[in-house]
Amino acid sequence: MTSSSATHSKASSASLVLLGGSIIWSLLAGGLQIISTLQLLIPLLSRLLPISFFSYGRLVPASTFLLTYGWVGSGLLGALLILAPRISGIPFRYGRFLIGGALLWHLAVLIGFTQILWEGSTGLLSLPYSRSVTAVFFVSFLILGTGITRGLGGTWKSGPLLPRLYLLGALLAFPLGLGTAEIVLRHSQAPGSVQIITQLVWNSFFNHLWLTPLALVFLFQLLPSLTGRAVSSLPLGLLAWVTTFTLGGWLSNSLASDGPVPAWMQSAGVIATLLFFVAVLGNGVLLRPLLEGKMDEIRRNVALRFLSVGAWAYASTYAWLAFLSFPGVRQTTAFTMVSSATQTLLCFGFLGCVLTGSIYALLPASRNVGWPSHPALTWHFWCTTLGLGITASSYALAGIFQGLAWSDPGVPLSTISSYLRPFLCTALVGQGLWLVGQIAFSALFFSTVLKLFPTTAPWAVFPTSIADHPDAVQEIYS
Amino acid sequence: MRSTRALILVFLALLFAWIGQVAIGYIQVGRLEPVLNEETNYTEPPVPSGLAQTGARVFASEGCIECHSLSVRGPIGSSDLTRGWGQRRSVPRDYLFREPALVGFSRIGPDLSNIGERIKDPAEIMMHLYDPRKRKPASTCPPHPWLFEKRIAGPRTENDALPLTTINWKQTVPSYSAKALVAYLQSLNLNYALPEAPLK
Repeated sequence: MTSSSATHSKASSASLVLLGGSIIWSLLAGGLQIISTLQLLIPLLSRLLPISFFSYGRLVPASTFLLTYGWVGSGLLGALLILAPRISGIPFRYGRFLIGGALLWHLAVLIGFTQILWEGSTGLLSLPYSRSVTAVFFVSFLILGTGITRGLGGTWKSGPLLPRLYLLGALLAFPLGLGTAEIVLRHSQAPGSVQIITQLVWNSFFNHLWLTPLALVFLFQLLPSLTGRAVSSLPLGLLAWVTTFTLGGWLSNSLASDGPVPAWMQSAGVIATLLFFVAVLGNGVLLRPLLEGKMDEIRRNVALRFLSVGAWAYASTYAWLAFLSFPGVRQTTAFTMVSSATQTLLCFGFLGCVLTGSIYALLPASRNVGWPSHPALTWHFWCTTLGLGITASSYALAGIFQGLAWSDPGVPLSTISSYLRPFLCTALVGQGLWLVGQIAFSALFFSTVLKLFPTTAPWAVFPTSIADHPDAVQEIYS
Repeated sequence: MRSTRALILVFLALLFAWIGQVAIGYIQVGRLEPVLNEETNYTEPPVPSGLAQTGARVFASEGCIECHSLSVRGPIGSSDLTRGWGQRRSVPRDYLFREPALVGFSRIGPDLSNIGERIKDPAEIMMHLYDPRKRKPASTCPPHPWLFEKRIAGPRTENDALPLTTINWKQTVPSYSAKALVAYLQSLNLNYALPEAPLK
């Protein structure tokens, strides 16, 4: 093996470490989420097993942390480690550092998760872990981010521009957001209301300026490659990009209703959310023609299926947020389960589906392996999408009913809890389905990586389609 | 588009979000001062005791914020005031001494901004923490027995022991964390007027 191929292999191992770990975190997060929903549905469970680390108040932040930092965060970084050298054409050097960075990321997730379960969360929005975990995340991100950005500037003028722009923004947003939040929230004596504003800004940075742009990198890079079509309008794409990064940091303010956040900031949050949706529509206008008339191909190519579901979930998530930000709706649905619906749409729908589609498309190229089973691919797709659809709609309806009931002072608390039960039952079914799908995916992933079975689906494409579009599929693997 | 130009553009956009919200927010609400109540000669909001500040951390670590909010909303579009969760809406000045400052995003249970005024007896809150159904049979709040210790009772039970039947000579006594949490919950009280939020 030559030294360059050895380095390439180490870089690919780093991506495997991130992806493999992210799948394990997703299984754990899915399991914890089911337990916490069960506790809400059957309060007797908490009484039967009164253990601190098994309590609802610790399971919910732990599962959210695992979903965001563990599953989606490390998964997207792992997939980027495969994609970045293919965008820039420059292979990674210092593969061992990348493996170290990947291991550090998982170490941070592990310590954070253990701390939340054992000692409890810090209660801060999107920052439920201690300073030491932040430090480990920083070091890891420094290593991985340096690896991913290497070569971006050198090859700036060739190839699609939009994925690079989103990548650049996302890679800047994470350290800037986390660093500033850490300083304001834990190193300075900022007054309480400033702390709350800072939490909202960091939450916006984390979700809308880091994770969302990372997922958009894959949509704008892989969809044109898989469909063989180009994005039609670069100026529109640039406009959407500028709008995304200008307004993304303001979105969480629209979640606040009265309380410690000044009124003008809440109004600015509402306007930002509505305008952000216009940017999403702009991206939708660019992405839709890529998929138009490609239904047969989408049916046959599982990677394309997941990416198109992800693209739809992207539009749905921000349409839902725009709907929630309308003044009358916001006052009714504040402090209800609609926030869980938003999280499901964003994490499981948009980010999760884009990540899964990217893994299906990129892993065979990275490891020169194929997927071992067509039925497992089908199971994974249907369980995951049905699961997230059922969960999101259950939480959305539960939140709306809950909000309407909270608005009526004549409805007592116990009645509102009983209103939620049917929705929690269906949400539980949805979460169970998602977990079954994810188990199928993990079986596929690990059996592929470990080469346990012979390959039957080389590119996650059902047999008939390979003959139809070999060039389109081949492009990203070259 | 050149990479340096894109980099500068992104950096400015991110800076715009931070300066627009955190820096201006700091100027607007970060410099708020407590107000002197001329009748009582105390400042409002009151500075919480050290025990209550420890309790705020217990409140955060136990994840109470997953089910309880800490923000009473005004009369428009919400029933918080009608439900008796406070005599006025919460305003930025109320959070001056909160550390960590939490608002919450879900209400499975009631808002706790004014719980210190609603439940004045600390023993009642203590019992709710140990076993919520002993106080409210329909409560969905989970019990927190790990915040309590079982100790051998002497001839008499300790003063702060929970009023439960002693089994095997063992009494149930709140730990330091439980006492701190109760002190914090008792400190949550919006029963004072502020210039921007008079009592109704």
